[in-house]
Amino acid sequence: MTELHLLETALLLGLYVLLAGGYALTYTLASMWHRSGFRTAAITLYALHGLVAAGIIFWAPLWLGWKLLLVASSLAILAIPSITLRYLERTHGTGSVSA
Amino acid sequence: MYRSQKLAVKYLAAAIALFGVMTITGLLSSYYYINPDFLFGVLHFNIAKILHIDTLVIWLLMGFMGAIYWFLPDELGREPVGIWLAEILFYVFCAAVAVVAVVFIVVQYGDSNQASLWLINQGRKYVEAPRWAALGVVAVMAVFGYNVIGTVIASRRMTGIVAVLMVDLIPLVALYLDAFPAVTNMSQDLFWWWWLVHLWVEATWEVLIGCIMAFTLMQLLGTSRKIVESWLYIEVALVLGTGILGLGHHYFWIGTPNYWLGIGGFFSALEPLPLLGMVVHAVYDAGTHHMKATNRPALYWMMTEAFGNFLGGGVWGFMITLPQINLYAHGTQWTVSHGHFAFWGAYACGVISVAYLVVQKTRNSAQVNGAAWKWSFAALNLGLIGMVGALLVAGMTQSFVERATGGSTLRAFIAGQEDPWFVSGMTLRFVFGLLFTCGYAILVYDLLTLGKRSVAVIAQPASP
Repeated sequence: MTELHLLETALLLGLYVLLAGGYALTYTLASMWHRSGFRTAAITLYALHGLVAAGIIFWAPLWLGWKLLLVASSLAILAIPSITLRYLERTHGTGSVSA
Repeated sequence: MYRSQKLAVKYLAAAIALFGVMTITGLLSSYYYINPDFLFGVLHFNIAKILHIDTLVIWLLMGFMGAIYWFLPDELGREPVGIWLAEILFYVFCAAVAVVAVVFIVVQYGDSNQASLWLINQGRKYVEAPRWAALGVVAVMAVFGYNVIGTVIASRRMTGIVAVLMVDLIPLVALYLDAFPAVTNMSQDLFWWWWLVHLWVEATWEVLIGCIMAFTLMQLLGTSRKIVESWLYIEVALVLGTGILGLGHHYFWIGTPNYWLGIGGFFSALEPLPLLGMVVHAVYDAGTHHMKATNRPALYWMMTEAFGNFLGGGVWGFMITLPQINLYAHGTQWTVSHGHFAFWGAYACGVISVAYLVVQKTRNSAQVNGAAWKWSFAALNLGLIGMVGALLVAGMTQSFVERATGGSTLRAFIAGQEDPWFVSGMTLRFVFGLLFTCGYAILVYDLLTLGKRSVAVIAQPASP
């Protein structure tokens, strides 16, 4: 790993989680308020998250095991907001929230 | 009001006061990086730093205890058992903290012998307090445990939150005993010391703040017990599942076997996942209440906790948690940046939220709002984000110049410290520290005067 690779890989890893958070946030907002803008934002953010993941996998000098873990994490990240939200709606006994 | 709740107010007041000491000593520590000769021969950097990080631990601990003493009697419908002992120990605790601080400032260090360990400094980061004071902390925590468990037994009532709290109190007290051994083998010493530091912060404290937030949600938003308890169980399972073996990321470079690289990296990489669920939950709760509550500052600070935890623990932590990156980043200002953000998000915001909730109840304010809390909220959060951003730049420079390029030699260390990016980062950290301090001052003003100012409040009956 070169000096520059160190900083670039670390920043990509941070961006990877940040975009996952942005996706979770906008997915929740889209599900609650049924606004197309939020839905588009959620899709865009997850796509960007996938791009960053691909960048890390194909470019970053990380060990293969960590790259496989990132792939598995990305799949989990895709599912976490919907599973969480479904559980929240079930426990709260509500559907989506109107504006 | 129960005696326990009066004690809670004292604990929270002491916590907020120590938050101030932590802020001032943090500001002082950051100034040494700009002017290393400052207070030379009077008060050195190491003492300011000890005061900064030790008061961090103590103010949060006092905040947690204050929160539990506040919620416990309402939860179990009676005064906690042995509350008189807790009341006495509160003053003993405060006096001990003051004496230890004076010893740190005036005596500072001693000879390498048992007397120094007992009377001046144990020499282990985060738990530097001399042994007599550490024993005092054990006594305070043991009484705290007795108050909770004894009350459950006396009231013959058990709720899900209290059950989790009781189980959590055992490792909370037991792990602190790890502060005492003076092991001369540094690898072994660090191995066990991390049990105290990591497992307190990323296991027992996480569960404790989970219980406190569950109580807060019920009082603040009227969320049902079934919901908060089911979430608490899930959170406990996920946090402990990833957090306990996430301990391994501290074992990468202290002389432990290689398998810790895999274990630590794997479980640490999973740690952001439960935080994602927390973000979804926070947005959902905020959405269902349209960000409206009778206590807006408490609601906003609670929401900030979820996002701060995700950003500080999740994003900032993930940047440096894999061994290949951590090799260059550990122990730099990058780690400091992560530590500041994670502690702020995971714990400090939660304690401030509870402080606002308690102020509302004690002053019988129907509504808590106004301008001051917004200024304080903005200054504290912007100050904190500015500080962690500046520290990130400084830490990346260190990793790049000192570690990756220079190979961690003394010359490389000096080159890193003199690099313009590092210097700018540390200067900006001080500037944003000033902003943070202003935010703290407004927070204190707001907490002291809420309900007493001209903001219209409608009296409501006091709680029993």
